[in-house]
Amino acid sequence: MTAGIPLAQALANWRACAPAEPRPCGLPVAELLRGFHPDQRPGAMVPLLVGISAGQRAPAELAALLQADSLVDDIDLAGAPLLEADVLVIGGGGAGCVAALTAARAGARVLLVTKLRIGDSNTVMAEGGIQAAVGEDDSLQRHFEDTLRAGHFLADKSLVAALVSDGPAAIRWLIQEGMSFDLADEGRRMGGTLLRKKPGGASAARLLSYRDFTGLELMRALREAVLLQPGITLLDRHPALELLSDDRGRCAGAALHDLARGRTVLARAGATVLATGGSGRLHLLGFPTSNHYGATADGLVLAYRLGAPLREVDSFQFHPTGMAWPGHLEGQLVSESARSSGAMLVNGLGQRFVEELQPRDVVAAAILREIAEGRGILRDGRAGVFLDTPTLERGKPGILAGSLVTLSHLAHRAGIDPASEPFLIRPTLHYQNGGLVIDPAGRTPVPGLLAAGEVTGGLHGSNRMMGNALLELVAFGRRAGEAAILDARVERPRNVGLTHLADWRRALTVQGLPLSRKAPMIFPPYGNFNAATDRGKAA
Amino acid sequence: MTDDATAAGVVHLSFDGYAIQAEKGASLLQAWIASGLPLTENAGCMGQGVCGACRVLLRRPGERLPGTALACETPAEEGMQVSFVDHFPARRPHAYDLHGVTDSWAVLDEVDRTFPEAKNCRHCSGCDRACPKGIEVQRMVNLASVGQTFAAAELFDACVLCNLCVAACPEHIDPAHLGQFVRRISASMTLRPSDLIMRLREIEEGLQPIDPDAPGANPKVPT
Repeated sequence: MTAGIPLAQALANWRACAPAEPRPCGLPVAELLRGFHPDQRPGAMVPLLVGISAGQRAPAELAALLQADSLVDDIDLAGAPLLEADVLVIGGGGAGCVAALTAARAGARVLLVTKLRIGDSNTVMAEGGIQAAVGEDDSLQRHFEDTLRAGHFLADKSLVAALVSDGPAAIRWLIQEGMSFDLADEGRRMGGTLLRKKPGGASAARLLSYRDFTGLELMRALREAVLLQPGITLLDRHPALELLSDDRGRCAGAALHDLARGRTVLARAGATVLATGGSGRLHLLGFPTSNHYGATADGLVLAYRLGAPLREVDSFQFHPTGMAWPGHLEGQLVSESARSSGAMLVNGLGQRFVEELQPRDVVAAAILREIAEGRGILRDGRAGVFLDTPTLERGKPGILAGSLVTLSHLAHRAGIDPASEPFLIRPTLHYQNGGLVIDPAGRTPVPGLLAAGEVTGGLHGSNRMMGNALLELVAFGRRAGEAAILDARVERPRNVGLTHLADWRRALTVQGLPLSRKAPMIFPPYGNFNAATDRGKAA
Repeated sequence: MTDDATAAGVVHLSFDGYAIQAEKGASLLQAWIASGLPLTENAGCMGQGVCGACRVLLRRPGERLPGTALACETPAEEGMQVSFVDHFPARRPHAYDLHGVTDSWAVLDEVDRTFPEAKNCRHCSGCDRACPKGIEVQRMVNLASVGQTFAAAELFDACVLCNLCVAACPEHIDPAHLGQFVRRISASMTLRPSDLIMRLREIEEGLQPIDPDAPGANPKVPT
């Protein structure tokens, strides 16, 4: 059991000190991250041995999947039903829906396939908001610099420039699709101003929101738009097993698995957009996750096998405020909007220990430091620190019920009253900062293969700012959708199959890696469905 | 097993015909996977309660009729009978073109055209009982069909896309999609923030350049 301060004692300390005085963390940022960020733990990362990004480091759990064999063979393709499309979009979250809409409106026949159900994704769970530099005191340049700085200057400047330049137009596009945003004055729908909050690490208030369920509001509008859009064929419950290649190494579509019928289906397409999201459900380093059930890194695995390079796959975002207690809510997110509205973090001694609106990696490392050094709070054997919602409510009466709706809902399910008792929180695995290398049009270096959203890398460096993920999926979903239809018009794949797998298996064998390990994972182990052995059955 | 559960023990329930046990405090969805049963659908946000994927029919001991709930946010209780509700495609698509509605005077006409059944609501409250979020679905339908668009949209604020009201409606009104229609049309026709408009104009006029070589866009060089 971790050392720490028992709950009753910690609550007494908190009451005695509330409201706690600001107190700096006392360690330089670089030292704090090196000492306490999970990415930096000794042994957390291993070098990749095969593939185009061999030599790069990745978490051991992810490396095992990236360096596994395919779930399918040529024989699985024989006799499989064949679907044809101009553009195949894999993934039914925000990025996939935006890409599908964009391509279909440009005249493409689009096949949108998703593992679970359209809308089931990390997008729908996003709470805080979406960044766009619309304020008079703000500029595209500020957004550009804040994003680069938060990412420790490891991001690709051309991608970040594309992201921030698209920001205001992305908000207009979302409104045109029927998404609502909070206004500074709700009475002024026409000619008023958007409500802006300051995300952690930002130099201006730039976070636009819809209450504290911005992602849900976005996904509701997009889901309806996709369902009503002529030209999009939607296949729920069709995870991708393998990308198809043609004899020139071009991506030619994908082999899908029809879960309801337990059979393989082929989708041949002129261009393929991967929008499969992240990898939180790999539970890297044993951390709980705030991610959606489907976030199992499938897209990274498929694209890497086809020769698409990766970047910053050794960098993950641990959201500072995941639930530490009770056990059945472990890892669930307490939105950053609590902190951006002014809620403080307090340790077991009743002290603040970090400036709460620092970038997420800094705040997460600071919390892990408090716990590691015995200043955490223990409740039923679980260690965390306090998120001080009672003091927030006292300072801004009505804020919990009025604008932190999801947070209050979460407190109810945890059995606490957030107006009188603080949350016990601890960092939770939240976001994959790196991913597939893309250009500003959303193209990977593999011809015919594009990508958008969390599966891509280069936008966030080694730390993502709050609000840039929702913006990314709109900005790059649109870019990838536009580029995909151009690519599909230029050239069609020919002699489609699994030609890339022969070289891949040879490379695994040369490195002494087993061919018995199969990937993508598709569902986490506790989903009790092994894609390698259970696939023949309808599920 | 979590400490809180060890103290409280286990409960027994029936889920999709399987007799299973669950730690007290576990959600229905956690009880399902802890029993080793395959989870390849009816799952999404795993407890946040925002995606509407894990819909179940649920009857507690002593209840005559089952109700609806989301499995991720409903704790397992002794003697519950539970079954997942499959997802199904809407049989009658209520199709509209949001961008084609350009005259706000015609919003009610569009409701009548696309959702003609809305006027026929028989006030059975089936949709209200089905909603796991406690939305006044029927009132939304009634308001939308008399042109009270904003009021209807506001009532549908908490919708999580579960479509249980669609399944419950005997008139095939498709309340979930009517709710989204009034929400979407409200935003797309009336939300016109001036700060956004001004910034878009600046960008179009080239007044928001990005300088990749600015000092703030590069790491500080140690001096």
